[in-house]
Amino acid sequence: MRSNMRLGGAALLVLPILAACSGESGVGYVEIKTISAAPALYLDTVKLEPLRNGVGVLRQKVGTTKLQVDGDSGQLALLCNIVVQKNRITTVTVSMASRQARCQCGRNSPAETATNRTCVA
Amino acid sequence: MRSILIPRAFSGKVATGFPQKMRPLKIFAAMLLLSASVVAGPSAPVLAQAESAATPDSRIADDEFSKQLSELRKTFGDLSKKIEDSAQTIGRLDNAEAARKEIEELRSYVGALLDAVADNGTVWNLGVKALKRAEDKLKMLERETRYKPEDRQYLIDRWRELRAATEAAIGELEAARKDFAGLLRTLQTNEDFIDELLQVREHAKALEVIHKLTDGIRDASDKLKKLLTTLKTPGV
Repeated sequence: MRSNMRLGGAALLVLPILAACSGESGVGYVEIKTISAAPALYLDTVKLEPLRNGVGVLRQKVGTTKLQVDGDSGQLALLCNIVVQKNRITTVTVSMASRQARCQCGRNSPAETATNRTCVA
Repeated sequence: MRSILIPRAFSGKVATGFPQKMRPLKIFAAMLLLSASVVAGPSAPVLAQAESAATPDSRIADDEFSKQLSELRKTFGDLSKKIEDSAQTIGRLDNAEAARKEIEELRSYVGALLDAVADNGTVWNLGVKALKRAEDKLKMLERETRYKPEDRQYLIDRWRELRAATEAAIGELEAARKDFAGLLRTLQTNEDFIDELLQVREHAKALEVIHKLTDGIRDASDKLKKLLTTLKTPGV
């Protein structure tokens, strides 16, 4: 009887936490356009399939994700950060300038710095 | 996005190890066989087994693609109705805040459409798998020597038809993705503008933008209806 009450109490504690977590979950979309032959791209550490016709729309969890490419040292090099918002689409264009990949945001974050490009929806 | 597939023959068995009752001699024999196959590389029967084991999975992917496309048409039909209703509501509203809420809801419908056709979505992945299967089948049949030439040609023709139908379905999904992405962009840009107008208390201007937006939404609804009539499921 007492253990049942404890379980009930624990459930009462856990349920609101779960509800709060599910409330924050959601997905948004990242549209990536590539101009000329772009290198292999990564969203965080997940390698993307080559984009058909140079355009791809990917479903992403809400939050900030990193668009990266293979770097010279064998590690991933950051192109830009992408802010994913619920049911919104963030557009980025990847182009090559003097053999180096560059990220152009459809819309830049007002808070971005020169070294840290951030695209928003 | 590619997922790592573990062959069915191995899944769930690697971690469990040998059954406890297996005698040491049997374990030794099994280890000998295993090491021999590793040293010698995969033999023809092993390859054949791997191929036949992969076939049902591919068939499941084909069937699943057709099934998912049928379900998608139903979902698109329902959402098309909701989008149309939303456009009518937005057109009638004379309260900018309420209209902005409606646009926000509309974004969730369009998001659901985009979700279904995204590059890392289930339907898209199944379509790509089904197309790869048709291409692999065609390559295999072109090398096939067991069948009479007319029988082989019959199979090749059928697989070419299937490949064409799958390509057409993928093309439709690609076009739909472009339209939905465009609509979502339009909605969010207008919503942001309306937000800005409301911040400076320009309600009349906000309502004007909202009413103009309904044309764009209706246009998307028409495109969705057209997609529903053209999107065909490739039967396997």
